[in-house]
Formats: sequence, C-alpha cells, structure tokens
Amino acid sequence: MTIRNKAAIVGIGQTEFSKNSGRSTRHMALEAVTEALNDAGLKATDIDGFVKMGANNDVFEIDLLRSLGLDNLRFFAEIPHGGGAACGTIACAVAAVTSGMADVVVTFRALNERSERRFGESTVGGGVGGWMQYNMPHGLVTPAQWIAIYAQRYLHEYGHTTEEFGRVSVLTRKHAATNPHAMMYERPVTLEEHQGSRWISEPLRLLDCCLDTDGACATVVVSAEKVKTLTGTPAYIAAAAQGTGTQSEMMTSYQRTNIARLEEAEATGKELYRTAELTPKDIDVAEIYDHFTPMVLMALEAYDFAKPGGAPKLFQSGVLELDGEMPLNTHGGHLGEGYLHGYGHIVEGVKQIRGTAVNQANNVKTCLVTSGTGVPTSGIILSQEAY
Amino acid sequence: MQELPRPVPLGDRDTAPFWQAQAEHRLSFQRCSSCNEVRYPVGPMCPECRSFDFEWVESSGRGTIYSFTVVHHQTHPAFAVPYTVALVEMEEGPRVIAELKSNEAASPEIGTAVKVEWVDHPKQPLPVFVPDQEHS
Repeated sequence: MTIRNKAAIVGIGQTEFSKNSGRSTRHMALEAVTEALNDAGLKATDIDGFVKMGANNDVFEIDLLRSLGLDNLRFFAEIPHGGGAACGTIACAVAAVTSGMADVVVTFRALNERSERRFGESTVGGGVGGWMQYNMPHGLVTPAQWIAIYAQRYLHEYGHTTEEFGRVSVLTRKHAATNPHAMMYERPVTLEEHQGSRWISEPLRLLDCCLDTDGACATVVVSAEKVKTLTGTPAYIAAAAQGTGTQSEMMTSYQRTNIARLEEAEATGKELYRTAELTPKDIDVAEIYDHFTPMVLMALEAYDFAKPGGAPKLFQSGVLELDGEMPLNTHGGHLGEGYLHGYGHIVEGVKQIRGTAVNQANNVKTCLVTSGTGVPTSGIILSQEAY
Repeated sequence: MQELPRPVPLGDRDTAPFWQAQAEHRLSFQRCSSCNEVRYPVGPMCPECRSFDFEWVESSGRGTIYSFTVVHHQTHPAFAVPYTVALVEMEEGPRVIAELKSNEAASPEIGTAVKVEWVDHPKQPLPVFVPDQEHS
C-alpha cells in the first residue's frame, strides 16, 4: 500500500514577498490561509487540521484557530528541522487525510525574516547546547558557514570551481527576473557579477546565498475522494516522503563518509520515486530548495538527475532552462523570488501542474518539489492526473 | 584588547566530561568498551554494537584538513574577520571543527597535516589547529 495519488493540494495562497511586510506573521498567515481556502472553494469552518514547520516559527495553529473562530482542531502537527520540513508538512497532511484522521488540512509558513529576526544572524553570547556546542564556540555560527564546509569539500571532490555555483545563481535569477512576485523581479545577474560579489564564507559569495524575506504561503490538502466534491484544479500528490540519511545532524552532518553527497536527499528521492512509480526521467519540472547554490548541485545529484559531481553539466546543456527538458526553479527560488523556507517552491509546483505559473513550462504532467538539505529533508512529487 | 564573549558550550549529562577534558587541554573521544569503536560527537550508545559502556580516550591531537571555510562576513562580535574554521579528520577517525591558525599567507589546503593547540578563553579553553610541520 502506498499514498500514491490518494491526496491532493487543492488550494494555494501567498502574500507578497518583501523586505518589510509592515504586519505580523500571524496576520500574513491568515491572509495566505484565506486565499488558499477561497482557491479550494472551502470555508474556514471546513478546516479540521493544521500542519506547520518548526524552526523560527512564531505562529501556532491555535493562533489561527482563534482568529478563524474555529470550534476545534482534531489534527495538528509540527515538522522539525527548519527548511527541511516544508514538504514534510505536506507528507504529514497526506497521512492525516488518507487515514481519516482529518478531512481538510491546512499547511502554512509565515515569516518576517527580513524585517524582524534574520535567519542568517548568529545568536550573540550565552551558552549553546546540542549540536551547536561543537561548532558555535569555534566561530561556525551561521547557516552560510555551516554549508560552506560542505561546499568546499564538494569543489575538492570533483575538481569544480565556484563558477559552477555561479551558474545556479544566474539561471535562478533569470527566472526571478520575469516573475513579478519575485523580490528580484527584473534584476537578473551575470556570471561576472556572481564572481565579483563579495565573499560571505568561502567558497560562498553573496550571490550564492538566498534572500531574507517577509511573507507567507499556505496550502489546503484533502483526500482524492474529497477532491471529487470540489470545483478547483487539484495537484495530486503522487508521492511525499521524508529522509535523514546516516549520522544526521541539524546542518552539520560532518561525520558521514562523504559530505559532498546529500544522503538525506538520496534517501528521500528513492522513496519518492518508489511511491510514485516514476523515474527521474519522468519529472517535467523541478523546484529544488536553493538556500545556497552548491546545495542545488548536490540535490540534483541526490535526486538522480546527474551522477555525483555531474550536476554542473546540466546548467551548461540548457536542460534546466524554461524551454529545456526539465526546467528548474521556474519561480526564481530562494535566490530570486524570496525565502519562505521551501514554501514558495510548493506553491510554484502547484501552479506548474495547473498550467497557471508566470514562467509556465511546457506540457507539465509531473513536478518534483524538494525541501532544505544539509538537514533532515523531505520532498513531494505532484501530478496532474491521479494515475 | 579585551576578548568579547564567544558562545560557550553548555555541557549536558553526556558531554560534560568532554568539555571538562578540554578545560584540561585534552581532546578526548569515547571508545566503546565492548567493540572498541571510537565515536564522536558524544553520545550515550555505541552505534556499532549498541553498548552503553565506554571509556574516554585522548586524541593524539593530529589530523588532516578535510574541509574548511574562510569567513569574511562578520556575524558575531567575538569573531573578527577574516578567520578560518577547519573540519579536521583526526587520526582516531572523528572529524572535529576548530579554528585554523596559521602564519602562512597562503590559503588552507584540504589534506594538510595539522595538530591541536590550546587557547584559554575565559569560560572554556578550546582547541585550535595549527600546521603540523613534523607530519606534513
């Protein structure tokens, strides 16, 4: 038994993405949820479940419950490990609606990460416990620095240069440049600009790092049975999975045999393809989590679109362009559209399946959406048909 | 110049002996009493044989650079840029994060032999890595 096509995303909502929303994360979450409900043709009182992401979250399902005036929630959950959780919230919602534990599950992410608490900031002073005790006292204090350790080893293992990182940046910003919703709308970058941008933490430059963003996104997940009672266009969930790989830590899984590979994503990919009964060749468009450019290369390899070390070739062959065989990060990703910890990727995946994206790819039947790497991760495969 | 406070490791019931050893300038790892597997980071169970029994063993302090980053964008007042943090594969197997201090102007290189030295920060002495000329 699998969950293949037994549930669907039937509603999506998102606020504008900006440097300063001017309102609370709770306010934005409610806007996104309202839009997603309208999109699905459902009422607030139809909601009986919420799933949210953990890290850096200050909006709880009961905050939404109170504002929406709901009587009760019979299913609620939180998925841990930062950006690795995004598609995991969908996977959890699928588990709820296919098991009968909930009927209409709303998932969401709301952040004022540019105007309030910035994710890339370190916490000053004080004590650090858990996994951080081994890294932060030595000056390894931010995501860019943790990821730089993986990135340097990736360059070393395969003899690549930072130009390979730059091509990720250029392609993603090209797609953002034609997306009016993107923070970097009409602002493409060149490889020269990438190479000339300042070092953040070698081998990462400014243009290898995602944006900090204010905004919110939400989805509505229901069972395939429930889809039949609704009028909107569903994006069926052909597969949804989480993965850890071996010796997993939050951002610093440095004890693994080879840290130039993303074990958590390899494991997630295998489970996704097995559940969906698809192969990488069957994926029409891919929305790959892009917190830092090297992780996009490593993820493309982990999800088996290239051999280890082989992803840079995909950027040189045109495969990932809008008119290529498998367009990548069509919305402009975290590098160009905005950093909603993977939620913009999910919303874009649904639009691609519906055929309503601003940068619509051709003949999209399937879409792979992946979540944060370097942490326990997750992914989904969306499908136009419930095959 | 007075040193600004850097993050201080909060030892817990598993890791307190690890940090106490560092306070005495010893880098130590757990070694399983049942199967002799050396493990790090600190944990209560051997992932090879699932034994809870272990002893602390002192590292030789020698290893090679497995990866590194040179930090240029300052995000914490205690760490003036630029500085280099290395992930070093120790002779005993575990990989350890610490600052890399070198008088040489050249960039660090993966594979370079390094050894541990100790810096007495106010609240917690910490290891740093320096080039190991004898073993390079």
